[in-house]
Amino acid sequence: MEQNNFSFKKYAWNQFKKNKPALYSLYILITLILIAVFAPFIANDQPLYAKYKGESVYPAFATLTDPNVRKSFTDVETGKIEELQYDITDWRQLDLESVVWAPIPYSPDKGDRYNREYVSPFGKQRIKNANNEIVEAPRRLRHIMGTDNIGRDLASGLIHGTRISLLVGIVAMGIASIIGVFLGAMAGFFGDRNLYLPRIKYYFTILGVFLGLFYGFGVRKYTISNAFENGSSGSWELLLSLLLIVVIIVGLRFISRFLMFGKLKEEVNVPIDTFVSRGIEILNSIPRLILIITISAIFTRSIWLIMTIIGLTSWTGIARFTRAEFLRLRELEFVQAAKSLGYSNFRAIVKHALPNALAPVFVSIAFGIASAILIESSLSFLGIGVPDDMVTWGSLLNLGRQEFEAWWLVMFPGFAIFITITIYNLIGEGLRDALDPRLKS
Amino acid sequence: MLKYITKRIIIFIPMLVAISLLAFIINISAPGDPVEKLSNSADKEGAANEQSNATKKVKQELRKKLGLDLPVFYFSFGSMSDCDTLYRVEDKAHAKTLNELSHNYGNWVNISDYFRKLGEVQLAHSSLSLEEIHANLKDKNGNAIYSKNEINDVITQSSFDVSAMMETANPAVLNAKWEQLDNLYNTYPFFGEIKPAFVIAKEKYQFMLDNKESWKTYIPTIIWYGSGNQYHFWLFGNGKDRHGIIRGDFGFSYIDSQPISEKIWSRVWISFTFTIISVLLAYLISIPLGIYSAYRKDSIFDRISSIIVFILYSMPSFFIGVLLLYTFANPDMLRWFPVSGIQDATLFDPEWSNWEKLKHRAPFFILPLVTYVYSSFAFLSRIMRVGVIDVFGQDYIRTARAKGLGEGKVVMKHALRNSLLPIITVFANIFPLAVGGSIIIETIFTIPGLGLEIFNSILNSDYPMIIAVFTIIGFLTMIGYLISDILYAIVDPRISYK
Repeated sequence: MEQNNFSFKKYAWNQFKKNKPALYSLYILITLILIAVFAPFIANDQPLYAKYKGESVYPAFATLTDPNVRKSFTDVETGKIEELQYDITDWRQLDLESVVWAPIPYSPDKGDRYNREYVSPFGKQRIKNANNEIVEAPRRLRHIMGTDNIGRDLASGLIHGTRISLLVGIVAMGIASIIGVFLGAMAGFFGDRNLYLPRIKYYFTILGVFLGLFYGFGVRKYTISNAFENGSSGSWELLLSLLLIVVIIVGLRFISRFLMFGKLKEEVNVPIDTFVSRGIEILNSIPRLILIITISAIFTRSIWLIMTIIGLTSWTGIARFTRAEFLRLRELEFVQAAKSLGYSNFRAIVKHALPNALAPVFVSIAFGIASAILIESSLSFLGIGVPDDMVTWGSLLNLGRQEFEAWWLVMFPGFAIFITITIYNLIGEGLRDALDPRLKS
Repeated sequence: MLKYITKRIIIFIPMLVAISLLAFIINISAPGDPVEKLSNSADKEGAANEQSNATKKVKQELRKKLGLDLPVFYFSFGSMSDCDTLYRVEDKAHAKTLNELSHNYGNWVNISDYFRKLGEVQLAHSSLSLEEIHANLKDKNGNAIYSKNEINDVITQSSFDVSAMMETANPAVLNAKWEQLDNLYNTYPFFGEIKPAFVIAKEKYQFMLDNKESWKTYIPTIIWYGSGNQYHFWLFGNGKDRHGIIRGDFGFSYIDSQPISEKIWSRVWISFTFTIISVLLAYLISIPLGIYSAYRKDSIFDRISSIIVFILYSMPSFFIGVLLLYTFANPDMLRWFPVSGIQDATLFDPEWSNWEKLKHRAPFFILPLVTYVYSSFAFLSRIMRVGVIDVFGQDYIRTARAKGLGEGKVVMKHALRNSLLPIITVFANIFPLAVGGSIIIETIFTIPGLGLEIFNSILNSDYPMIIAVFTIIGFLTMIGYLISDILYAIVDPRISYK
């Protein structure tokens, strides 16, 4: 009975659950994702809800859609009109009738001018109250993790830094796994001897790549760069170029169908496995950290650039695992059956082989995310990764390095990075043990 | 085995080409004009925009010295509209404008006509004499019509606008400038020969627009340049004063115009010593640890050491480094070690014997060395443990035990030698890790090695330096891979039968 209901997913999940460290890591990861998603409501210097001069407002929510939102308040007694721009108002100084602060009532990028020069979490913290007096901060408005040299709140910086750390891991590994799975699947499924193409199709595909690059990037280079300089449509133009490349390649392959005669029709072998394996070897021998540092030092600093480079250089592990899985799978009965039923190679790969090859890819992705986060934080730590005004865990730690008094600037971000990397590594190990029953002997 | 090694060396060549190409691509796409940067750093006193003949000549020589008067690569893959002699244009910004113009309009002859005329307009500005204009332009009463200031402002404005036109291909901007300059020249009578030249330039511009051949942009072409190109030059030099990177000539630093190779070699030994010592130490610690915890698998020692190693494995090395500094070099905590550098300049005496030098430097070395060792140690001992566990499950270990060999001999002779295999391959991975890590560690501890040098060049945008370090480390990494692969083949005979 049980044999009939056997599901690999269920089995793997049960195995994973047995691995307590991995399971708790997963819970922590989910918490981190929630923190990242709701960061503006967890750490914000604008109250979630405030009642001022008889009117109820929700500044933290209002500024989310329109950062420059303004509102006029009329004083009932004096009739004076006061206009507030939400994001630059210091709400702590206002005489609010009632207020609900965010759990951490500070924003990451705004300095608190009364608590500059590294205020300790346990030290004396000041605040200016509604009567313009500078007094000891009440417990609710303290910087629970201290501040940096210009009075930015560390706890808030950590909360918002979660977004960047998680994003780096996900985007970089997203790029890496698309490339890695595609190339690994091609190399493993076809090997060196199984991909046959009519000669004309083979040549036309190569021609298509060149022409695609020419028309997509060569001809459109100024269109793209001008679009990037003038505003937001740059990524759209880039996408259009990529689309154009795909259309040209597919189009040329289509045309090649009508040229099938004589020698052109003969099938030739494409040693795709050799191409991919040599490519992996070459890319592996390039020192990754130095490459990323070099590129981010020379071009305009941007977090997206870093994510892209990390992604483009770290697909080799995923490709290797996928290739190995496909080498094994293509000999198995169900893939052979799919082939002999006359399904196309595409269908055999995507529908039959791929779902069974993803287990090691997930493991590889988990470890890859850990190392992507490590690289990003190293770069930010050196102060060369992200733009200066961006607050990340690494850049916070860098501030602490320069000031021996400010232990909180080292300990908290350091542990945040450490914990994130650890949970990804633990999840990776848990996945490996759960998904690969061969190791469970 | 010989076949394998030969094969491996043959693969090594395209790898070298790949990394040199990568470094070269980064090199030529670095922002800014190297000639401007180097000539600025050579004489900071001269006004930057003063285009006297002398400075022009210096710049031309510099271009030649840097090989920038050559085409970029052996061949170029572009469109028919691209000009195949564009590399001869001296100014990088002008070359960019010309490229964009030819990309937009395609008729290179007309474009170069227009651009040359615009250049003449620009040149004609130097023939205007402020004093002469001021003296000649008098109204009926003999008073000067325009003040010197006004004349100066107007001429500067005109010259500035023409220069700006030479650096843009945007039709909207160009049209605005045409109109603006037209008004300027009509208002002020003293522009002399600039005005007719300007009118001709404008006609040429119009002619270029009217006769555009945009279709040329859509025809792909390949142009062959031969070995007289920048990449070839960068790689092999010109056989005279430049030697190319294969002979260690990496160009000149933007900061002080000194050859980069001299700067680098004085730093390399520090980083190299640290890397080698730390990798050796890491091996010395992790091999016994890995063997012992694998031998006593699931014992308390194994569990605890595994957890500690796992924690260390996830700990970023910069965090460890800063923590060590905080704890052991902090006046408020423990002041056991100095904070930074490799020697105390006030105490250090170059006359000392080597032993005294070492004694003086030792405390400076400890914290960085611990950080260095730690970053490869955690990685190594994990691999070692897994490797030994794997070997213990093999048949030949069972055979050795069945033969009645002593436990010590089984472990030391049969297990150890075979479990060393994976750790040899890892050497190639450790090496770039250690070198890359050196940037972080040397920055934290201010050790004047290659890592700190690259960090400082990044802060100062000294691109040739950054690229030189990247190239060197890339080559070293690949040589590391080559050596470890060959070693692997020598140590493990099984590999040649594959």
